Amino acid sequence: MAEARVLERITFKLNGRITTLEVPPAYTLLESLRQIMHLTGVKDGCSNGDCGACTVLLDGRAVHSCLTLMAQVSGREVTTVEGLSDSKVVSSFAETGAVQCGYCTPGFIIAVEALLRENPSPGDEEIREALRGNLCRCTGYVKILESVRLAARG
Amino acid sequence: MVSLYNVRVWTPSSLSEALEILQSNGGRVKLVAGGTDLIIQMKNGVIPRMDLLNIQALRELQYIRLEDNMVKVGALTTFTEISRSPIIRRHANMLAQASDTIGSIQIMNKATLGGNLVNASPAADSLPPLYTLNASVKVVSRDGGRTIPIEGFYRGYKRLDLRPDEIVAEILFPPMGTAELGGFFKHGLRLGDAISVVNGAVWVRRDGKEIGDVRVALGAVAPTVVRARACERLLKGSRPSEELFWRAAKAVLEDISPITDVRGTAEYRREMAVNYVYMTLHDLLAG
Repeated sequence: MAEARVLERITFKLNGRITTLEVPPAYTLLESLRQIMHLTGVKDGCSNGDCGACTVLLDGRAVHSCLTLMAQVSGREVTTVEGLSDSKVVSSFAETGAVQCGYCTPGFIIAVEALLRENPSPGDEEIREALRGNLCRCTGYVKILESVRLAARG
Repeated sequence: MVSLYNVRVWTPSSLSEALEILQSNGGRVKLVAGGTDLIIQMKNGVIPRMDLLNIQALRELQYIRLEDNMVKVGALTTFTEISRSPIIRRHANMLAQASDTIGSIQIMNKATLGGNLVNASPAADSLPPLYTLNASVKVVSRDGGRTIPIEGFYRGYKRLDLRPDEIVAEILFPPMGTAELGGFFKHGLRLGDAISVVNGAVWVRRDGKEIGDVRVALGAVAPTVVRARACERLLKGSRPSEELFWRAAKAVLEDISPITDVRGTAEYRREMAVNYVYMTLHDLLAG
């Protein structure tokens, strides 16, 4: 029978590399990525699943890393913005200038990446739907929409 | 950032192992599936910190099947899967609609139907559709299983007919046929990723020119989701008309008892409930 321990060895794929961490299993993925792995692209915005700044890909789907326990990551594949340096989404954000303070940007990039992998040429309504869980408080949404259209074309 | 560093987590590899752990630790462990509400509640001290039984990855409870003339949904099926399922879209379109608006993409990718049921928020978006579909909840334990009609599963505000050694395994309901129509509505304070101020669902079976049978359920307007039975009585056996839609919509006031909270006043909820029920009836039955 499974045992419950204070620290557990958890193995998962992180940005393409097999990674093993010894962590409290109820640590969030967000805590582990920032504090242990020093992957500070993932941001701690609200810690409550409202703002989307901590979004990562879990087996290719966008999820909140602040609401994902390390115990739920075991054996799965996690992608952060650091793992997307070759993505056209990143270059489109830069090219369009879809960044003001930049805090929300990694979460948006992940959400857009998830969208385009499933739907390579989304309409504006589909883009808005896919980004409804990501907040930009500089309100740079117009540029963000432009950058998604550009990434979809390219 | 509040950390749950001192919470231990059991991660069973099968349902039977999960049930074994529950039987020996029932009441001292809390089940976690998608965790999209539970983790927030535990971080913020809304619920006490206790060890977690992490069942999210149990494939045995992730399915959508049409079998024995019933739609069967495994409790750990995510809202992304439910909203995309051809079976749900065809045979329970109001549940597909509710699943598609329940939260952000990030929430839909993790949150599960069973989790939404057990979390027991009166504003849970999946519940009004399930009430109007006459759904049942199948729960299992080491001692076997039992199936409970969804209305009986809720005994009061956040009070469930569920023992500490039991797990919700499946939600099942009869598939909607071609003469049946379903609609869902949700009034939030904004369009995307919002908690419902009022939500609801309507199921109708047409019988020639008359409304043969109808069920109306409303959420966020009482301690549990409620059936609007006075409204249903007016509709059943009647011919659809604008006058009837308004009269029936106003009758929902007999069955609801909303409160005032951060999302709206009781008065506002009453008015929105009437208006949305009218609009849903109009959309389904006019013309």
